[in-house]
Amino acid sequence: MQVIESSTVLIFAVPLVIFLINSLFSKRLAEKFSMGLAYVAPITQIVATAACFVQIAHLKQHDIIISWDLAGAVSMRFAVHTYSLVFLFCIALVSLASIMVANRTVPQKRTGFASLLMMLILGMNGIVMVTDLFSLYVFLEIVGISSFVLIAMFKSETGLEGAFKYLVMSVLASIMILTGLAFIFMQTGSLQYDHLEASALAGQSPTQLVLIYAAMILMIAGFAIKTGAVPFHSWLPDAHQSANTAVSVLLSGIVIKVAGIYGLIVITGFFGKLPGIKLTLFIMGTISIIIGALFALRQSHFKRIVAYSSVSQMGYILLGLSTVSMLGLLGAVAHVFNHATFKSTLFTNAAAVHEQTGTYDINELGGLEKKMGVTSFSSLAAFMSTAGIPPFAGFWSKLLIIMALWSSGARVFAAIALFASIFTAAYFLRLQRKVFFGKLRDQLAGITEIGGSVKLAQIMLTVVTIAAGLLFPFALLYFRGIGLL
Amino acid sequence: MGSEIIIACICVPLCGSFLLPLLGIINAKLRNFAALAFTVTAFLCAAFALPAVFDGSPLNIHFELPLGLSFGFYADVLAVFMALTSSFVASIIVLYSFDYIKPYEHQNEYYMMVCLFIGTMMGLVFSTNLIFIYIFWEISAICCWRLIGFYREEITIRRANKAFVVTVLGALIMLVGFVGIYGNTGTFDLAAMKGTHIPAWIVVLILCGVLSKSATFPLHNWLPDAGVAPSPVTSLLHAAVLVKIGVYIYARLFVNSLAIDKVFTVAVPVIAAVSALVSAGVALRENDIKRIIAYSTISQLAFILLGLSAGTEIGVLGGLLYILMHSVAKGGLFLCAGIVEHSLHTKDITKMGGLYKRMPLTALAFIFCAFSVMGIPPFGGFFAKYLVIDGIVSAGNTGLGAVFIAGAVMTILYLSRLFIKVFLGESPSRLEVKEGSPLMVASVLILAILSVALGLSISWPSGFVALIGGGI
Repeated sequence: MQVIESSTVLIFAVPLVIFLINSLFSKRLAEKFSMGLAYVAPITQIVATAACFVQIAHLKQHDIIISWDLAGAVSMRFAVHTYSLVFLFCIALVSLASIMVANRTVPQKRTGFASLLMMLILGMNGIVMVTDLFSLYVFLEIVGISSFVLIAMFKSETGLEGAFKYLVMSVLASIMILTGLAFIFMQTGSLQYDHLEASALAGQSPTQLVLIYAAMILMIAGFAIKTGAVPFHSWLPDAHQSANTAVSVLLSGIVIKVAGIYGLIVITGFFGKLPGIKLTLFIMGTISIIIGALFALRQSHFKRIVAYSSVSQMGYILLGLSTVSMLGLLGAVAHVFNHATFKSTLFTNAAAVHEQTGTYDINELGGLEKKMGVTSFSSLAAFMSTAGIPPFAGFWSKLLIIMALWSSGARVFAAIALFASIFTAAYFLRLQRKVFFGKLRDQLAGITEIGGSVKLAQIMLTVVTIAAGLLFPFALLYFRGIGLL
Repeated sequence: MGSEIIIACICVPLCGSFLLPLLGIINAKLRNFAALAFTVTAFLCAAFALPAVFDGSPLNIHFELPLGLSFGFYADVLAVFMALTSSFVASIIVLYSFDYIKPYEHQNEYYMMVCLFIGTMMGLVFSTNLIFIYIFWEISAICCWRLIGFYREEITIRRANKAFVVTVLGALIMLVGFVGIYGNTGTFDLAAMKGTHIPAWIVVLILCGVLSKSATFPLHNWLPDAGVAPSPVTSLLHAAVLVKIGVYIYARLFVNSLAIDKVFTVAVPVIAAVSALVSAGVALRENDIKRIIAYSTISQLAFILLGLSAGTEIGVLGGLLYILMHSVAKGGLFLCAGIVEHSLHTKDITKMGGLYKRMPLTALAFIFCAFSVMGIPPFGGFFAKYLVIDGIVSAGNTGLGAVFIAGAVMTILYLSRLFIKVFLGESPSRLEVKEGSPLMVASVLILAILSVALGLSISWPSGFVALIGGGI
């Protein structure tokens, strides 16, 4: 318990302290050191979550509640589950990768980037650790606003368009979620998780069910917007295309999952048993998988392909959640982790290719394999993982999701989800053929491999992807050890 | 000999392959020999597992995992037979590659992928769990993809992508079938599900995977196109290893482990018959030496599938024997084609002729291997072909037997045509052709001699295969 308590304090305190330091120092000084300082937060968080994982294995207990009594007046309660720990770990990993990329792609406004990133980390940590829906909403707003500014701050014409689209959609989602919260509050009188667990579906008079259903429609739509699931996906590729790639890493790597998927995990945890909810998520997930992959096949902008791929992969996570079973949740969370690693890898690759060649258009590229060996290999591994080709990590999480779908009786959805992987393979083969495989173009003859922190980020993420794939059976043993399987 | 020998058999090529690019940076020769050493080690380890297998105490490694998963390797006669066959032919192919692949770029990747591929094959045949079989299956698809795209031209990459997409699609459909088996039995473990009867729709799903990997009609068309790869690769993929994965899984699952409906003893042979005739017909019309041999592979794989699916023990024996004979002979044919292509720089048989004077040893090896594939006694292929057809006839399906005899006649026709066009007749004067390098010729001769030797001493391989029959 001691370890977990101090870890949670650390992961809240460190980003906050760094934020304060950035704001206090003189502009010139901060511009120089803020990026270096920013590394501290994710690294601390990685160490802290790793310690928590070890501690949980010792305690053999997979959810732990921590209360902070601030001067006896305000009591704040946080909870750490195994799956929220996975989220915390992903937040740290992706943020680390993002800072490494930003080191290269963000030449100015480095303090601004670092401070906003700290706010973003804080917000995301909050979302996954709070124990009532209203606090969740508050942290959701922090995440929404800081990511909006991050997208918009490196401004270009298209940048503003993407950011504006994101802002509109995000605000719409927030309104929906807040209204939904109000409806739930009207019915249950509380937004605390443990009260909801006890009373969510207790009084089932028709009027009250109407309220709950209204809340569900609003909240699922709201979180689906944040997730970027079809039919609410339109903002995602635009936002990615216009954002700085370091921000894309964050946005697709983790923000859509914490702001969208985690919200849905909470909701389905309480209300998933209501008739209709499962089916809604099934259909939304399947459509996202197919539409996302088909759109990805048609794009020629590197980042748009990867962004549509995110839409498609979010579909798998939704399918996992929709089973409302432990196995499905586990599969979904495993896929969150895998998606965080391979999607950050792909955006890091995009950054590397863009930095070296100056273009994102895959039709202008070709044969980079020889010149950019590390980038080429890491994108290959990441795409294989995305397509769910073993032995890469994505295969295992997809397998868990398919198994969960199968045992919950949704066999057709399971089969569709599996077949749709072939589209993933198709757009990834297309991208590999155009960018890395094939003959080198003459105008690209002078290209060299990217160096420094971006290369390091690629290596780090690829190692994680491959290791997660090879060692996944041990993860299964771990989950059994703490009683989740 | 303990069960570590299986681990060594799998891990030496599998893990060793990742060392090869590093060795390649130091010294090319060292890398080549290391690659050969790894594959030969796999062969030797499989051979060392033989005594235990003959004693009737198969080597076994087993770890339980949650969710009906398990991780284990099991060396029974069938697995060891497949391992010996594929690692032997693969070793010859690696030897042959030394000279063939020398002038090209990406050699490090080539040896790595070949070696990884053989390790994957070893892992696949020894695995006891459907999920791990699937994992190895897909790794082999990745290797195949890189190897077919070896030359990095637009067309080869497109063909490589085609092969990848077709086989992966088949594998995904098969995975649905595996999950279906899990739904029915609650386990992915082969030993735990032994003898269970499974519904027909699962069999159909798994068949999609088998047919795509073993390039059988209607999922065959990636294979001739993949002939754009270097010849040792085509030999490895199309003759010795990759295409045998599909039929091996058929034998492992539907002959050795699970009970399936009677209807498949007719349905699968019918598919095989269509596949055999269609591809033999195409082989008669093609003018590209490698495409002819590739279509011949599709046609011969149908014979293997026929033997395994006929539902009689004699058919299964024939099918398994066919795997061995076909690997050796077809491997030899592709390698001979490689020698011809290497010195003529064309694959068009209308531009060839009279090559037997210039390359007598290759011609000899070619005709030996061709005789084995045609099924001329006393070459090895004859016995396998005889048993397969005997199998389907004794199952009461004389009609299908006749169709396959017609297929065998067509085999004789198109291979004779190929031999005549390439090696006999007038030699176009402009060609300054010489025999392949000693190493390449030696490799094909080994395979050719083996084709005869296996036929002459047929009691030995058939006795070995009969042990598998006993297990069934």
